[in-house]
Amino acid sequence: MTGPRRGPMRLAAYLVLALVAISFFLPFLWLIVASIQPGAALSADISWQFSWENFGEVLNAETIFRPVLNSLIISGGTALITVFAATLAAYPLSRYRSRFGRLFLYGILFSTGLPITAVMVPVYTMYSQFELTDSVPALILFMAASSLPFAIWMMKNFMDSVPVELEEAAWTDGAGWLQSLRRIILPLMVPGLTVVFVFTFVTQWGNFFVPFILLQSPDSQPASVTIYTFFSTYGQVAYGQLAAFAILYTLPVVLLYTAMSRVFGGAFSLTGAVKG
Amino acid sequence: MRPKHVLAALTALALTTASAGCGGSGGDDSDKTITVAYQKFGAFIQLDAQLQNVKKEYEAAHAGWTVELVPIEAAENDYYTKLSLMNRSPKTAPDVMYEDTFLINTDIQAGFLAPIDEYLSGWADWSQFTDAAKAAGKAQDGKTYGVPMGTDTRALWYDKTIFQKAGLTVPWEPKSWNDVLAAARTIKQKVPGVTPLNVYSGKGAGEGATMQGFEMLLYGTKHTLYDDAQKKWIVGSPGFNDSLGFIKTIFDEKLAPDPQDALDPNWGTKVNTELFPTGKLGISLDGSWTSSTWIESGSKPWPQWTEKLGYAAMPTQNGEAPGKTSMSGGWLLSVGAHAADKKASFDFVTTMLNKENTLKYDIAAGQIAERKDVAADPRYLESNPSLEFFTGLVDVTHFRPAYPDYPNVSNAIQVAMESVMTGQAPVDAAAKTFAEQVTSAVGGPDKVTTAS
Amino acid sequence: MTTATAPRAARFGAFVPALLLLVVFFAGPLLWAVYSAFTDVALTGSAEVNFIGVDNFTTMWHDAQFWNSLWLTLVFVVGSAVIGQNTLGLLIALLLRGRNAGTRGVVSGLVIAAWTVPEVVAGFCWYSYLHRDGTLNGILGWVGLDQNWLYTTPMLAVILANVWRGTAFSMLVYQAALNDVPPELHEAAAMDGASAWQRLRSVTLPLIRRSIVSNLMLITLQTLAAFGLIYVMTKGGPGTKSSTTPIYMYQESFQFYKLGYGTAMALVLLVIGAIFSLIYVRLIKVDNL
Repeated sequence: MTGPRRGPMRLAAYLVLALVAISFFLPFLWLIVASIQPGAALSADISWQFSWENFGEVLNAETIFRPVLNSLIISGGTALITVFAATLAAYPLSRYRSRFGRLFLYGILFSTGLPITAVMVPVYTMYSQFELTDSVPALILFMAASSLPFAIWMMKNFMDSVPVELEEAAWTDGAGWLQSLRRIILPLMVPGLTVVFVFTFVTQWGNFFVPFILLQSPDSQPASVTIYTFFSTYGQVAYGQLAAFAILYTLPVVLLYTAMSRVFGGAFSLTGAVKG
Repeated sequence: MRPKHVLAALTALALTTASAGCGGSGGDDSDKTITVAYQKFGAFIQLDAQLQNVKKEYEAAHAGWTVELVPIEAAENDYYTKLSLMNRSPKTAPDVMYEDTFLINTDIQAGFLAPIDEYLSGWADWSQFTDAAKAAGKAQDGKTYGVPMGTDTRALWYDKTIFQKAGLTVPWEPKSWNDVLAAARTIKQKVPGVTPLNVYSGKGAGEGATMQGFEMLLYGTKHTLYDDAQKKWIVGSPGFNDSLGFIKTIFDEKLAPDPQDALDPNWGTKVNTELFPTGKLGISLDGSWTSSTWIESGSKPWPQWTEKLGYAAMPTQNGEAPGKTSMSGGWLLSVGAHAADKKASFDFVTTMLNKENTLKYDIAAGQIAERKDVAADPRYLESNPSLEFFTGLVDVTHFRPAYPDYPNVSNAIQVAMESVMTGQAPVDAAAKTFAEQVTSAVGGPDKVTTAS
Repeated sequence: MTTATAPRAARFGAFVPALLLLVVFFAGPLLWAVYSAFTDVALTGSAEVNFIGVDNFTTMWHDAQFWNSLWLTLVFVVGSAVIGQNTLGLLIALLLRGRNAGTRGVVSGLVIAAWTVPEVVAGFCWYSYLHRDGTLNGILGWVGLDQNWLYTTPMLAVILANVWRGTAFSMLVYQAALNDVPPELHEAAAMDGASAWQRLRSVTLPLIRRSIVSNLMLITLQTLAAFGLIYVMTKGGPGTKSSTTPIYMYQESFQFYKLGYGTAMALVLLVIGAIFSLIYVRLIKVDNL
């Protein structure tokens, strides 16, 4: 507002922001450089020779394609089931008041907070007891269940913003709740559905601990696990290849996120989740 | 209003749940599949290479059968974890597995392995195995649970060129721990840029740290890990503290590699594919199989190793008789308790471990043969100049007390080594923690004894 | 509101898929955890499972390593979430207010990029960044401050990495909260001669108090069970210098075969998480309830 004090303050603010930007960029630096530098190791010694060789080395069925396909199946399957179950559950939560609904909602909120990765040990013993280990569908169901509380909470908030008056017309025409959900609410909720889907997908795409414990066959491992195996075996010697692998594995989620925030703007900033 | 839709949704969900039970990707839908689980890591590629060939051989000889290879790409400790994770569920349990001899009693108690006595009696080749080999696969219950692939011994490998530069005598014959330390100190002083002495230590190296590192020291003192007469684990022996003290000395004096490097699970690979071949390492306490990395089929062919490197037996602490010591282990091929067709699985084991294939494997993986016909074969005898030396160590060698609790004791050793090498705890405190951990792991104070 | 068209049964039916999943695959493991924490179930070494009462918990009580791990977990949560992510997130959100689109785009773009990167990849980035011969030492070497971060200061290393990875969340929460602060209040305070710091303390912070508290709860809960990042960077080492409870739990359960003991530790983590979660639920405003 006032002239003389503003200059130095602005400068200081920009300096701090520049420092933040640089600090956040630096950890990426060697990963990016090493990926296009043939024979790059862990030591950040730049040789100024660049090529796509590292990408060529890892772009094969064994290293990239099969794990990424597995990741697609696991994250996609989880996201589909989550969106399906969350939409159905969110409808009565958003539209009707009931003692059960209130209890359910509190339970859901409480569950979003539980550190679910902490229970991987008992999950493993339970799964091996019921012979569910190394099963991709069983893995997906666990991931869907652990994504559900947050998904239902987001979905309910999105559904709350669809005016109930739109439905009332349909109800007077004798449409059932499922029909009105499908014909009236869902089309209006496409952004919300997409956000929940993408959010679940991206979270599970990066999930390392759960498949690491629950899947055993090398052939069914998602990229999050195979890239870790690659790191622990070749990370020291072939960091360039690891970097190329990491970039190819990360790119889809970064692109998805960027696309989402372009299209839906603020809606994707998770505000639905944490309004306090 | 529309219960049909809800019903459809529910059915879909129920179906997914149901299919979860029989899904999986093991491909075990056919009964005529043998799954083989084994380790493939770093420079250890020989088993993988050979199993690929044996798979073809077996499938050609047994029409209709398929061998499914499940290589587990993990360091030693992680391999045991992954194998146990697979074994705990009948659906994922392999039919044939690559099993470390020290784990068999542990895994038998867990119900993972099948006894193979009835099949062994019908296998003519079994008579070719030495008594020691037969004992290696025999468990506490008197039954046999695996066919040995070969055994090993451990000793000091050293770089002759570095020794000459440091003014040390070649061939080197250390008579006590102090001789080993003295040589390492001389190298540190006279040949800069070289790691003087590598002794595997800490959790990263896994069982390698326990066996190549710690036990090679401990079994050269007056003490061991287990009192056979009392049937108790030994904790708090002077020999134990002295061995930890040795580790502390080499890390404190920087005779050993930088602890951060030594703690990396890939350290063993780096030692043998990089440090030795480039002349950056003076002495390494390692296994008889080490040279398998450098032979033509190895992961880092280095033909000059025969001239560049020497080997010396590990001396006892102060030169006590017999003056030198060694440790022996080895791996088995075992049949899983949940194998659908145990006879077929056993047949795969005998294909892999018939004379020709054992010969090939023992040469490629640097194993000491445990089949008499292989040991006598000129192709084996001439395969590796270090063979005679390492086979000779069998006379002074020791075996791990491979009781079911051994893996826990071994883990506690690695923890103790790591806390000493990183300076997190002094020797006494580390030994005390070890005693506590072992006491709790083996079932109380009446299962342990202090020194003997 | 017209509710006649949706009978109770159908309304309940809508919950069924979610309920089924939550009961079987969410509550199931939790109940299973309560059960196996009182057993000696092992990864290998024993086929039978015995009920051993509170033995696992007495062992834990006397286990110095466990207390060490709990302490490190506290250091990790307070250092990386409560202090690091929260303060930095708020600072960035405040500084970005009213900047031009370019600045906002670059800064929040980079902060968010660090957040979207999968956990394991974040681990690789920091592993190489903090490596003895890595980028950071390359820079600090000029001023002689280089050191072996992952070895000498492993906790600082994993805390920095987690601040980097998690700040975006707090930043987004605070950006949203600050958007709701009416600018007139600020201007009024400025007219009264309040300094920037005074305005922040007496106008802005009280208005976003709820966001601050719920953000603190959420990031605490997210950080409490962090596994992958630490596992990739240090595996809990050297020694036990960065063995937080989730890492120690993994080691005891899967590397040292004590599944029952590991489960007992999981239960302790869960109870701690549940307490924070209850506070969070009480704080949050549930509409139409």
